[in-house]
Amino acid sequence: MNKQTKVWLVLSIALSLLALGSACGGGTSTNNGGPANNSNAGPSLLYSGPTGSISGVVSYNGTPPAPKKIDTTADPVCGQKNPNLMTEDTVVKDGKLANTFIYIKEGTTADGKKFADYTWATPTDEVQLDQNGCHYVPHVLGVQVNQKLKITNSDATQHNIHPTPKLNQEWNQTQANGAPPIEKAFTRAEILIPVKCNQHPWMKSYIGVLKHPFFKVSGADGAYTITGVPAGTYTVVAWREGGATGEEKTMQVTVPANGSAKADFSFGGAATSSTTPSLKMMPAIEFPMLGKH
Amino acid sequence: MNRGLNRFAIFVACATFFLIIAGALVTSNAAGLATPDWPLSNGQFFPKMVGNLFWEHGHRMVATTVGMLTIVLMIYILRKEKRQWVRRLGIFALLAVIAQGLLGGLTVKLMLPLAVSSAHATLAQLFFCTTVSLAVFTSRSWIEARPLPQEKGTLPLRYLCTAALITIFLQLIIGATLRHSATWDEHLPTELVLTHIGGALAVTITLGSTAFAVLRRHPNEQFLTRPATLAVLLLVVQLALGIAAYMTRLKSPKDPQPLNPMISITVAHVACGALVFVSTIVLTLRTYRVLPAPGKVLRRSTMFIAPQP
Repeated sequence: MNKQTKVWLVLSIALSLLALGSACGGGTSTNNGGPANNSNAGPSLLYSGPTGSISGVVSYNGTPPAPKKIDTTADPVCGQKNPNLMTEDTVVKDGKLANTFIYIKEGTTADGKKFADYTWATPTDEVQLDQNGCHYVPHVLGVQVNQKLKITNSDATQHNIHPTPKLNQEWNQTQANGAPPIEKAFTRAEILIPVKCNQHPWMKSYIGVLKHPFFKVSGADGAYTITGVPAGTYTVVAWREGGATGEEKTMQVTVPANGSAKADFSFGGAATSSTTPSLKMMPAIEFPMLGKH
Repeated sequence: MNRGLNRFAIFVACATFFLIIAGALVTSNAAGLATPDWPLSNGQFFPKMVGNLFWEHGHRMVATTVGMLTIVLMIYILRKEKRQWVRRLGIFALLAVIAQGLLGGLTVKLMLPLAVSSAHATLAQLFFCTTVSLAVFTSRSWIEARPLPQEKGTLPLRYLCTAALITIFLQLIIGATLRHSATWDEHLPTELVLTHIGGALAVTITLGSTAFAVLRRHPNEQFLTRPATLAVLLLVVQLALGIAAYMTRLKSPKDPQPLNPMISITVAHVACGALVFVSTIVLTLRTYRVLPAPGKVLRRSTMFIAPQP
């Protein structure tokens, strides 16, 4: 064996070891809330003052884009169970927009303290994300940091759950039909984490992860109500899927003690009640896009 | 010259081309992570190939077949081939296909990092180049090629071909990086698109001038004019496919899933790019085979003499 052959053999073996090491390391590592990244850690300031609520309706002005039919021929099970599978990025009924994620971004409570200084207990109940009819149900959901996310597969085919966060750990796991639920948690606040299914590329979901419990997803009628909000003044954000980065509207609201604040949002071509759309929602896909030039 | 060895080398090169198409289909269908494990797919040798698993596991099956064929080719070469440098190239082909398989596994396990995915796509082209080269070196036309007179007063064809080859290879790397920088539902990064367009211009100039020089200086040497003509014709097709791929890719972020014609056109663009690359490799190798090194007296180099039994 000459010198050149030996060099290639050594390189090949090194690459093999690297690949094997990676394989043994496990690319599907779990993310079940290690304390190291628990944003609730440290001195806690618990809120015990008066509360109120924020409610409103999310509207869509103008003609919404028509849902597109999804081609499920790649997996016959999907077509049999859900023959009329459509896109869910803009679900509008009577001018009301569903699947909008509304949350408190920042603010000051009535006692003059910063909202961000408070800590909120992690709920013990779990949030469910189901794969049913080859689409994610719900399409948009919210969890608190370290709250359990229970992922189920109600289909007679296998799925592949792949969240692509920027701040939390990415994972990719197959869930066969009949397999037990997968339980995960996100350790850092992040708005919003796209979730894919790499087996069925049309399947998408978005998960908002927050340190606090003051968020809601608008229903089919566009309505939402966030309860138990400490009295104070807040920046409320409404985020909806769309384009490469999503679209958000912000609004300042004052929540009275034992009262309710109203925050209506509107999206679409003729929206007037909104402020500047944000491009900071999903920073990792802030490539300069051809579509913007 | 061993006719059976040459035919088998051509067969392996064709299988490699099919493998490149299979790999391109994985990328265009966004199927690279259809299974999170490797080398098994969802813990099985033969999983139910539905959804995107069809593309990903299908690619793995084709790759495994090409890997086996490369092993056979190497053994065949070691048994039948006397030229030491061809024997070494046979061993290199096997090492390259092993490295390529491992890179494929790495990119899955690391969840498609851009650098690893692009390296996987680039090494695919280099491996294809290797198998095609083996087919060229074992061919009758290579063995029996007659040396041509030395070129005088002009830029040597060797230099032109090498420049074209390097430009195409760089363009392939840019293309691979561009393809893996965004999935179908994201817009392509502007900088990379512009770089790729600039690369296309550079390839057109270098390959076009090379082919023109070949046709002008050696119009009767089919050994050189055939690959030169083929490379230019493929380049024209490739440019058209590139424009079509960009147009379809521009619209794909609005689609609910990867759809045709975006898939078929982008895959055709990748495949045609590989053909432009290997046809230029054939031209370059043949140029080195029959044209003497610039400034040197013409003689049959022992490197290219085939001491066949």
